[in-house]
Amino acid sequence: MMDFSFLYETLLTLLTGVPLTLKLAVSSVALGTVLAVALALARLSGIFMLAWPTRFYVFVFRSTPLLVQIFLIYHGLGQFHAIRTSFLWPILREPYWCALIALSLNTAAYSSEVIRGALLSVPPGQIEAARACGMRTTVLYRRIVFPLALRQALPAYGNEFILMVKATSLASIITLMEVTGLAAKLISQSFRAIEILVVAGAIYLLINFLVTRLLQWADYGLTGHLRLPPVSADALHRGA
Amino acid sequence: MGSGFLLGFGENGWGPLLLHGAVMTMAVALTGFGIGLLIGTTGAWAKLKGGYLSRGLADAYTTILRGIPDLLVIYLFYFGSSAVLTPLGGLFGASGFISLPGFLAGSLAIGLVSGAYQTEVMRGAYRAVSSGEIEAAIASGMSQLTLFRRIVAPLVLRHALPGLGNVWQLVLKESALVSVTGLVEILRTAQIGAGSTGQPFTFFLAAAVLYLVISSISGWLLRRTEWRLTRGTRPV
Amino acid sequence: MTNPHQPAVSVTGLRKRFGNLEVLKGISLEAREGDVVSILGSSGSGKSTMLRCINMLEVPDEGRIEVGGETILLEKKGGKTRPADLRQLQAIRARVGMVFQGFNLWSHMTILENLIEAPIHVQKRPRAECVEEAEAMLVKVGIADKRNHYPAHLSGGQQQRAAIARALTQRPKVMLFDEPTSALDPELVGEVLRVMRALAEEGRTMLIVTHEMGFARDVSSKVVFLHKGLVEDEGPSGELFTASRSERFRQFLAGSNG
Repeated sequence: MMDFSFLYETLLTLLTGVPLTLKLAVSSVALGTVLAVALALARLSGIFMLAWPTRFYVFVFRSTPLLVQIFLIYHGLGQFHAIRTSFLWPILREPYWCALIALSLNTAAYSSEVIRGALLSVPPGQIEAARACGMRTTVLYRRIVFPLALRQALPAYGNEFILMVKATSLASIITLMEVTGLAAKLISQSFRAIEILVVAGAIYLLINFLVTRLLQWADYGLTGHLRLPPVSADALHRGA
Repeated sequence: MGSGFLLGFGENGWGPLLLHGAVMTMAVALTGFGIGLLIGTTGAWAKLKGGYLSRGLADAYTTILRGIPDLLVIYLFYFGSSAVLTPLGGLFGASGFISLPGFLAGSLAIGLVSGAYQTEVMRGAYRAVSSGEIEAAIASGMSQLTLFRRIVAPLVLRHALPGLGNVWQLVLKESALVSVTGLVEILRTAQIGAGSTGQPFTFFLAAAVLYLVISSISGWLLRRTEWRLTRGTRPV
Repeated sequence: MTNPHQPAVSVTGLRKRFGNLEVLKGISLEAREGDVVSILGSSGSGKSTMLRCINMLEVPDEGRIEVGGETILLEKKGGKTRPADLRQLQAIRARVGMVFQGFNLWSHMTILENLIEAPIHVQKRPRAECVEEAEAMLVKVGIADKRNHYPAHLSGGQQQRAAIARALTQRPKVMLFDEPTSALDPELVGEVLRVMRALAEEGRTMLIVTHEMGFARDVSSKVVFLHKGLVEDEGPSGELFTASRSERFRQFLAGSNG
């Protein structure tokens, strides 16, 4: 029943989509992070005219489906003559750029909340200590606040990256040939949906497994200060 | 503003169709969520009380379903069922593509995906119930059934509600993917409207607003229920 | 109703091990109706485990437990002992009121709802009767004004008094107290002990695991001192506190400033 040569051929075909899947995921998380930091800082600024639009942005992007956001950008923007004739049109008519923009805007909304939480979790005492020894605000953020917040945010951020790897599959609906797009194309040619989808699923699982491992490794490297100190022979002796 | 007319309830307005799409979205999301709740409760039970085999199966299920794109699961039910049904139909003289109806394929897929998340929510909620409260109930002579009905279930629900609310919001957004099966829910209606009027932005914006409204209302209802149910555990 | 010759609880040859650790090594103990038995011992002596065996929150490996003259039926299966008749056990549990160290009030119910829960849903008594009785119990323990509060909104002392009232509303033949004041702030201990003292004076049968030496000496009719899973000494509290033959018990008393 199992047709291994077909599974193998499918695997080879689908693997050619992995670079595009990864490229979309990595670039959108990178772009999204820049935007997310800006959003989080705006939200925490205490300035009404900055904080309120940020809240609205996060609310809108988190309450609507990503696919709708993709369609709005890819199909929707072409409705306006002004956009069709602008210098941006060469970008906005490309499915790749539209998918990338939508994914980045979407992940920025989610990650800004992660970053905001992480920034709020920095103990005020450690900020005070930095100010007390004369740090300027930029140095304070660069040397104290961001490093502490990064360690706090990393697990949730890793989760967000895995969610983005999964989300890139929606790019296939606007004709991009990443892993899911190739799978859909193969299905329409062969009608052997189950085998093809199992192979595609396995590829995503493998990517996410590797990402998880990578993050655990990074997390371990960054959180030495949260682990117990090395046990000394003395402590063992006392049964501590 | 021509688009106001376009989305209205007048002669050529798309209002009724969009509203119908919204009802369909809620129907498929609710059905999927319900299926997911059944799976989630079973999965949590398997993880907490099951033997080696059922624990392993439940772990594999949650790991796989949370690691692959939802779209693949929808395709699996939609195209996968056709891979089984089309040759079967051929035996009975039917020809061409036969598949599960979009509603069924969609709600099953949503159920299977959200079930993985609900398994984790229910498991966490059960573990949050203090063993002392259960012990006090046992000591008072409660039967297993009474213990579950009067003590365990209400306490688990209270702990699970915030998590289930999050899953519901996920499910609602995920239901937009079911439009690929041709089910005429919000997004599919918007696509049809965009195609036939040449005003895609208007229609996809309308779709976004509909999702926003449903999500806000259900979020508000959930918060209210949560607030009512957790009276006992809130500080005054 | 009280028949001083009837054993309310009788424990014979109780053994229990957790893994490699034998916690109870053959304990026997008897409480007659109206007895107030204090069970003392340092931590790890097995006193809480012994108490929890009486209503089978821990199932002993060996031994016999009788409550109100009825033996709890046990069976051995695959080397593990377990209750043989769940219905019998539940019926016995309904007649035994238990007060825990951590109160264990049901957090999703108000105080009144906590009190009437088991009477209605286990003992199947009419609701109106249960409510009336529960309110009387709340007056008795001095928190009638808290009837519609949730447990989380009460102080530890109030929660423990509510838990005592909950056990009382079960109309128990025997009451078990598992270190009822150990989780309380020192200033709240008195209010709980006062309630327990009043119950003892009513002639209720009580088995109390406690560290409150003064209370044990003044209130109990009988004191049992456990050491490493065995009964080291027992007797009427007056005798034991003044003239125990056990060196260990005298040391224990000296150590606890009793």
